[in-house]
Amino acid sequence: MTEVTVYVPRDSAARSVGADQVAERIAAAAGPRARVVRNGSRGLLWLEPLVEVETPAGRVAYGPVTPDDVEDLLDAGLLDGAGHRLCLGPTEEIAWLRDQTRVTFARVGVIDPLSPDDYTAHGGLAGLRRALSLAPEQVVAEVTDSGLRGRGGAGFPAGIKWKTVLGAESDLKFVCCNADEGDSGTFADRMLMEGDPFTLIEGMAIAAWATGASEGYIYIRSEYPDAVATMRAAIDAAYARGWLGKRVLDQDFTFDLFVRVGGGAYICGEETSMLESLEGKRGTVRAKPPIPALEGLFGRPTVVNNVLTLGSVPMIMADGAEAFAGLGVGRSRGTQVFQLGGNIARGGIVETAFGITLGELVEGYGGGTRSGRPVRAVQVGGPLGAYLPTSRFDLPMDYEAFAAAGAMVGHGGVVVFDDTVDMAGQARFAMEFCAAESCGKCTPCRIGAVRGVEVIDRIVAGENRSANLKVLNDLCHLMTEGSLCAMGGLTPMPVRSALTHFPGDFGATSEEERR
Amino acid sequence: MTATHTPPHIRMSNEIAVQFRNRDPAWAAEQIAAHIHSFWDPRMRARLLADVTADDDRLDPLIVAAAALLPPARANG
Amino acid sequence: MTLIKEQDYGTPARSGEATVSVEIDGKTVLVPEGTSVMRAAAECGIDIPKLCATDNLEPFGSCRLCLVDIDGRKGSPASCTTPVADGMKVRTQTPELAELRRGVMELYISDHPLDCLTCPANGGCELQDMAGVVGLREVRYGFDGENHLDLPTDSTNPYFDFDASKCIACSRCVRACGEVQGTFALTIEGRGFDSKVAAGAGGTFMESECVSCGACVQACPTSTLQERSVVQLGMPTRSVITTCAYCGVGCSFKAELRGDEVVRMVPYKDGKANEGHSCVKGRFAFGYASHPDRQLKPMVRERITDPWREVEWEEAIGYVGSRMLDIQARHGAGAIGGISSSRCTNEEVYVVQKMVRAAFGNNNVDTCARVCHSPTGYGLKQTYGTSAGTQDFKSVDKADVILIIGANPTDAHPVFGSRIKRRLRQGAKLIVADPRKIDLVRSPHIQAEHHLPVRPGTNVALINAMSHVVVTEGLVDREFVEERCEDFAEWERFISAPEHSPEAVESITGIPAAELRAATRLYASARNATIMYGLGVTEHSQGSTMVMGMANLAMATGNIGREGVGVNPLRGQNNVQGSCDMGSFPHELPGYRHVSDEVVRGTFETLWGRVLDPEPGLRIPNMFDAAIDGTFRGLFVQGEDIVQSDPNTQHVTAALSSMELVVVQDLFLNETSKYAHVFLPGTSFLEKNGTFTNAERRINRVRPVMAPRTGKHEWEIVCEIAQAMGYPMKYDDSAQIMDEIAFTTPTFSGVSFAKLDQVGSVQWPCNDAAPEGTPIMHIDGFVRGRGRFVQTDYVPTQERSTRKFPLILTTGRILSQYNVGAQTRRTGNSAWHPEDMLEMHPHDAEVRGIRDGDTVALASRVGETTLRVKIAERMPVGVVYTTFHHPVTGANVVTTENSDWATNCPEYKVTAVQVSLKHPTPAAAVVR
Repeated sequence: MTEVTVYVPRDSAARSVGADQVAERIAAAAGPRARVVRNGSRGLLWLEPLVEVETPAGRVAYGPVTPDDVEDLLDAGLLDGAGHRLCLGPTEEIAWLRDQTRVTFARVGVIDPLSPDDYTAHGGLAGLRRALSLAPEQVVAEVTDSGLRGRGGAGFPAGIKWKTVLGAESDLKFVCCNADEGDSGTFADRMLMEGDPFTLIEGMAIAAWATGASEGYIYIRSEYPDAVATMRAAIDAAYARGWLGKRVLDQDFTFDLFVRVGGGAYICGEETSMLESLEGKRGTVRAKPPIPALEGLFGRPTVVNNVLTLGSVPMIMADGAEAFAGLGVGRSRGTQVFQLGGNIARGGIVETAFGITLGELVEGYGGGTRSGRPVRAVQVGGPLGAYLPTSRFDLPMDYEAFAAAGAMVGHGGVVVFDDTVDMAGQARFAMEFCAAESCGKCTPCRIGAVRGVEVIDRIVAGENRSANLKVLNDLCHLMTEGSLCAMGGLTPMPVRSALTHFPGDFGATSEEERR
Repeated sequence: MTATHTPPHIRMSNEIAVQFRNRDPAWAAEQIAAHIHSFWDPRMRARLLADVTADDDRLDPLIVAAAALLPPARANG
Repeated sequence: MTLIKEQDYGTPARSGEATVSVEIDGKTVLVPEGTSVMRAAAECGIDIPKLCATDNLEPFGSCRLCLVDIDGRKGSPASCTTPVADGMKVRTQTPELAELRRGVMELYISDHPLDCLTCPANGGCELQDMAGVVGLREVRYGFDGENHLDLPTDSTNPYFDFDASKCIACSRCVRACGEVQGTFALTIEGRGFDSKVAAGAGGTFMESECVSCGACVQACPTSTLQERSVVQLGMPTRSVITTCAYCGVGCSFKAELRGDEVVRMVPYKDGKANEGHSCVKGRFAFGYASHPDRQLKPMVRERITDPWREVEWEEAIGYVGSRMLDIQARHGAGAIGGISSSRCTNEEVYVVQKMVRAAFGNNNVDTCARVCHSPTGYGLKQTYGTSAGTQDFKSVDKADVILIIGANPTDAHPVFGSRIKRRLRQGAKLIVADPRKIDLVRSPHIQAEHHLPVRPGTNVALINAMSHVVVTEGLVDREFVEERCEDFAEWERFISAPEHSPEAVESITGIPAAELRAATRLYASARNATIMYGLGVTEHSQGSTMVMGMANLAMATGNIGREGVGVNPLRGQNNVQGSCDMGSFPHELPGYRHVSDEVVRGTFETLWGRVLDPEPGLRIPNMFDAAIDGTFRGLFVQGEDIVQSDPNTQHVTAALSSMELVVVQDLFLNETSKYAHVFLPGTSFLEKNGTFTNAERRINRVRPVMAPRTGKHEWEIVCEIAQAMGYPMKYDDSAQIMDEIAFTTPTFSGVSFAKLDQVGSVQWPCNDAAPEGTPIMHIDGFVRGRGRFVQTDYVPTQERSTRKFPLILTTGRILSQYNVGAQTRRTGNSAWHPEDMLEMHPHDAEVRGIRDGDTVALASRVGETTLRVKIAERMPVGVVYTTFHHPVTGANVVTTENSDWATNCPEYKVTAVQVSLKHPTPAAAVVR
């Protein structure tokens, strides 16, 4: 009797719907017949727990599997990949997954996240090995040529940032990974850390080599205990294999990596606040300049990149800049890991080249709303992103196209609302969110957000509507132009987009609406 | 203050002498004499010289040697 | 006669060598690279609105009022955080910017009390000013939104209130506490709209680590942090720039007044010693000057057992003159003398020594520096040729390693302490040699690389071991030594002897040899290493030897003659340096020239018209000895409470009791005046007109804010005593005295009140060779020619712990109090230090059954006193520590007659004592 490998995700999204119990039941019921591997999630979240079985013909998927389904599935021949009402067929052939271009997420859901052997068997370390064979300048050039831009939201070219750090004189430099994934509707960072942590480690090691850094920190939000545990375990394993520490991969290169856990403030996802927090201080925004690339963590030159940015680097180095740059549109090159959430029928990870339209994502991949009601609005790019009506479903996912439309791609989170949504309430929430999460340093954000809530309440209550709309407009302008960081600067984006696209929700008369 | 207390000028001169214990005695005597001449009020010097003349055995030999190099001092400041 | 407001450039000056040219509102200005747009604008006369920016703090970028328009830049960058770039074109006034600024101000005012007319800061409030500047006309949000107007006021600090309802959360206070003061007592608590200033962990200001330096109050742009005196008296209307009369840092202040009443003391930004910073004493503790205890009329009595009788000046001065003459007639010219005070001005001190030399006709003049820094004068003169520190304070900004020996700057020289802390935060390394773990050993954002807990009395063994390491490990700067020094070879042989090795002296100093070696290597291999020291060096039987030992170490490593290096005494009192410079020592005429020098004497004899005594006079302890012997019978004491401050109190009082005439000139009746026959009321620094010279040889002006409350300047009193004794001595004003000093003293020849009023301050030597003064000494060569290496044998003090007295007592100062406490005890400062405590290691307390707060007897072989115990981990085992700020403590009842072999500076720092439990009663019973 040969042992059959069964995959049950350890991803916290899967665990939240019973993956642990499913795994336990399979192990208990199948006994020595099955080897249960806890993989990452394939990202088809509406199908979690998604169980896969290794068969001679490839992996076969079943889902969503409840603990109570296990016995029935085994009886039906789960271990042989047999048919069942929950059987989804060969995993790779599920259209939702097949049509994606998985680059950063290529190994997520495929491998055992904490198995170094699995990692290298699936192409892991090829990027780092190649990078270490090149001079740092060449690595920076390659990353620049790939067109990789910061996936955290700002979209700043990674290569240019790295070049600045490489050129900065210092006996100590840092690579900091921003894993304080606080935007609503985003979960890709977490899934990569839980599903393929070595990719992030490899990406950071490459960044360190390319910039002359010797120490790295991964700043993970406290709400992600599984990601913290997985990253820590992976770092331990990487040290054990000589992938970290002194003489990485036996080269003359030292890189030490640590995990730091945030304290629960959204603002610590802003890079300078994150640096303050890493230094043990309150998470408040630093004015720039100086830029972190020159004076970052503890005043030293520092690469600060998002998980997805650093997670894309190993592939770029392994396959070459051209492969990555060959994907995408305009100045948005490569793939983006979009995250579909909110009121959506099929939520999850869609990694695909830039250029796909918003409609294709929401209606195509997402399948419309989960409630079955018509889609009314979509918020892209987190709580500070614009609300877009279905009339803008033609927009291509592209930094510049979104900016031109008064919106932003951000970290690639897409949150869907059906026709029951109150857009004035959503606009108010944007201000409320800002008031709750502002670091409190600059005036427009600290006081402005509170006043914004009050003014919207007055508008909705019909108090001096036109005068208060002017006040709100002025306030939005002030926050956009005057705030210290993107928190205050972008809060008006959802407010203004709601006002622009859904004026009726603010109690506007038809005449006002026409204007 | 105890009744058997050493007079201040003897205590102070001995404190100076001990600083020079490891130096060449002739050089030390010269240095000590110069120091006392520079910093001591004449009435203190007079008392010291009187004690040296009286062979006070509490005086460090270096002080006795230095005293020989000191000019006479008026007794009343 | 107006209120002086220094220009606020918004952000600190940058010192980069490269300059860039930038065009602002059409004006072109050249500024150093790294300068902010805001500062560049201010330098060409363009004030950009601002609230969170002020030029003693790094830019912060929070208020968003200073937004500007820059060609080619997106949006509206904040001018405070944006550095200039060459060719940059900036516009500071556009309709768009005006709207943004009004918008910001509208938000501020929507959460601020509308009580400007009744607010203490009315007219001195930056928020109010800016509302006007940006043209705010309405607050469209109304005033019924969420706000902070109900937040309470914290009035726990004796000098200022914190009214949270007025706070605009600009963080200036928080930043000042960190960046300027280096205490980090304040923070912002909460997030977003809930952000508020908090002291410590959210308690009150008094419960926090706050040291009440006032930096936060000064930084506050509103009335949130406000001096209570301003609340009570109103905004001041005029300023007088003067110099603090507390420690040797010599901070410049603006005395801000309404009429003749001082409302507040505000540190003066252009003051070179403090650059706008202050401590709790200079900033707030000036109330003693108007304290009801001030004695304003002269008093006389025949016997010290008689009651005092208030008399007119004429009678008092006549009495002093005739009694002094009478004593001289009966007991000889040398039977009288005077003691000058380091608290007084150079001019006041100069006339005292002149009175003694010319009118008394002897050299029996000494000064309180005898008991603090006389070994500095001796040691540095022997080795370098000048009785003064080598550097200015600013020099420490260039130091890479700072070696602090026997000094506690954060308590005793707080403003310089803050400067050291700032340099340490920038990365300089620190070595502390002190028996106690002083605050600098470990405090927020600072940690000493090495703490060498030297056993009291063994400094010389320590410094010799350091030099031994330098010489034997090849760390000598040969080039420097060969070019600039002498007697090196003999010294090298001496110091290389194995008896000086760290291993050999480990059992003497208590410092592990490896630690000492590591510390020495750090010092010796630094690019710039500087030594700072205090009374923990000088007040020892080998104080002078230790000073020379440090001078040797600095020379051997080439750490002399440029910025960032040197050997620097931290002077205890405001004018220790000056009183020494002015010829207060019995062997030296002004300018440290020996009385035996005929040429020098000739200068004075010609000018003064009297023949001067070529022999040195009595030093203070010699005076006491001579008094007991009966050869010294009349004493004039200027502003020094020798009974409380000098060692071995019984000996001092015995001496004073045996005198025929003791004249005390002081602000208050004190311990010494109990033994006085004449009391002459002195003037506070607020009434004085003259100069103080600080620890960096800086001559600062002291300007009167009011006429002498006693009716007479102190120098006038002294002149009149001289006249009463038949010596004509008269000046029209104190400027004339300085002119005489300049005429007679080559190092001062370029100094005059006019010059000081013009340039602010100068550091001596100031003469034709150095018309602007001399910040750093010995640059091209030592003053004495070649720096001289002196062999410094370690001779243990005779004061040893015994079975009867097993502990060593050492003494020091605390931040809030000052020396004998005559001033600070008469201010709100006693809120921090109501009594002197005996600090003791837990082990020493445990074996004696003593708990924290217990009252104990502290006994030495000469006396016994009573005080309460504070158990302190920072003490080493076997050493106890106390302060001497309160007369009731009588710390000097137990200190001994031991003194420095060369200068007679008392050995305050080493007394063998025993401590025994007296009452295990808690605090309340203790006499205040």
